Amino acid sequence: MALPSLTLLGQSLLSGIFIGALYGLLGLGLSLSWGMLRQINLAHFALAFLGAYLTYQLAGAGMDPLATLAVIVPCFFALGALMHWLLARFSVSAFNSLLVTFGLTAIIEALIQWIWTADFRRMESAYGEVKFRVGALYVALPELLTLAMALALSLAVWAWLRHTHTGKAMRAIAEDAPIAAAFGVNVRRLSLLLSGLSAAFAGVAGLALALSYTLAPGQIYAWLGVVFAAVMLGGLGNPLGPLVAGIVIGVSEALTMAFTTPAWAPLVSFSLLIVVLLARPGRI
Amino acid sequence: MLEIERIRVSYGAAPAISEVSIRIGPGELACVVGPNGAGKTTLINAIAGLHSIEAGALRLDGRDLSRLPRHAFCGEGIAIVPEGRRLFAGMNVRENLELGSYRRAARARRTESLDRVCEVFPILRERLEQPAGTLSGGEQQMLAIGRALMAQPRLLLLDEPSLGLAPAMVLAVFKVIKEINAGGVAVLLVEQNAALALEIAARAYVLEEGRIAAEGSPEALLAQPHIRRAYLG
Repeated sequence: MALPSLTLLGQSLLSGIFIGALYGLLGLGLSLSWGMLRQINLAHFALAFLGAYLTYQLAGAGMDPLATLAVIVPCFFALGALMHWLLARFSVSAFNSLLVTFGLTAIIEALIQWIWTADFRRMESAYGEVKFRVGALYVALPELLTLAMALALSLAVWAWLRHTHTGKAMRAIAEDAPIAAAFGVNVRRLSLLLSGLSAAFAGVAGLALALSYTLAPGQIYAWLGVVFAAVMLGGLGNPLGPLVAGIVIGVSEALTMAFTTPAWAPLVSFSLLIVVLLARPGRI
Repeated sequence: MLEIERIRVSYGAAPAISEVSIRIGPGELACVVGPNGAGKTTLINAIAGLHSIEAGALRLDGRDLSRLPRHAFCGEGIAIVPEGRRLFAGMNVRENLELGSYRRAARARRTESLDRVCEVFPILRERLEQPAGTLSGGEQQMLAIGRALMAQPRLLLLDEPSLGLAPAMVLAVFKVIKEINAGGVAVLLVEQNAALALEIAARAYVLEEGRIAAEGSPEALLAQPHIRRAYLG
């Protein structure tokens, strides 16, 4: 095994951080609705891809990719709230929510395939071309944007839960919803709000996907395993968890690839997950 | 002030309590005693809005609450210290207390209520920034009572406040309950420890198998030999 050069190592580290940021961005909404509302929303990934395709479509029509958020975020908020309303209406349990949203994933995938076909789609945008040089290393603007969005959203949710009146009520709901209600918290309304936010975050993650990746409907499933690992490693419902765990996984993967071969990378995230589950089973 | 008329509450198909009627006058301290599984917790939870009422009426000062949404009960002046305390364990003591005063009217007087609660339970002031889950059993019970007081209730519901506490702590908690009641708050106390409950209550109900088996003043109830035998041993 030859040791990689310092430049290669630095570049791996950077790309690990950036992919980790995307894991974190994709995992944020999943972790919140799982940890706080006990709904495991597998369709989160399909929603993110739906967001990515919509960004692609709107950008193709001449909109700035970042400006598409103004359309996608409110639409996805409404969609997330509607999904929660339906799951709550039929009192779907945590495990059953996994099954229902798996079905929903298949439906969204079919919808995407029907509208945009199974061909690869790549968004052309001015952002994709921009690269910064830091010493011997390169940083691409889309990746930087992804990290910025992941950081901003994770910190914003953290501050909301920590310091605001409704945020604290949301934490109380996560711990004991009936008792929170007994003290006047409108559980239904806040749950709708959180579900709406989670779906809106999927929309934002979609923008990040469209900026950096070539889209194909089948790709929905490619992110599932590693993002689940990040969500569980980060602690369910912890707003900073997915980002921190995502970066840990991303960097470990990148270093594994630099030192060995890319084939070993997926092993890393799940080995980490297993180690943490064994060491601290109470986290899940 | 509280009038419950022939209410029924069920889990699935099985009724947990039925045809239960109780009354609490303004500022009165009433207690419900009875064996395990008689439906005491179900009854008190239904009054707090934690269970929906299937049949019958639940009136507070003449207003029917039985069709209100769950989060509206607190606004009517009802606060509960639930069985097992059910604190928000991951949140600190201050946040737990603040959540007690979540609704707008109580929030306006939050600082004042917090001071009052810390006067009643000085230990809580020292623990304000500590996660609720790290408190001792007695401290947790104080926090649960403090959280309910933060809601500025007119009717305080207490479910087994003595459970799991050391005898000295039980006496301290009951002393506080008496003081709260002396301050004009009506109290409904559900207790396994019938001797203690009957000692401080002005009116008592015996709940057996989901029905009221006897009611009256504690003295009158204790005069009945079978009740004495069953609950005081």
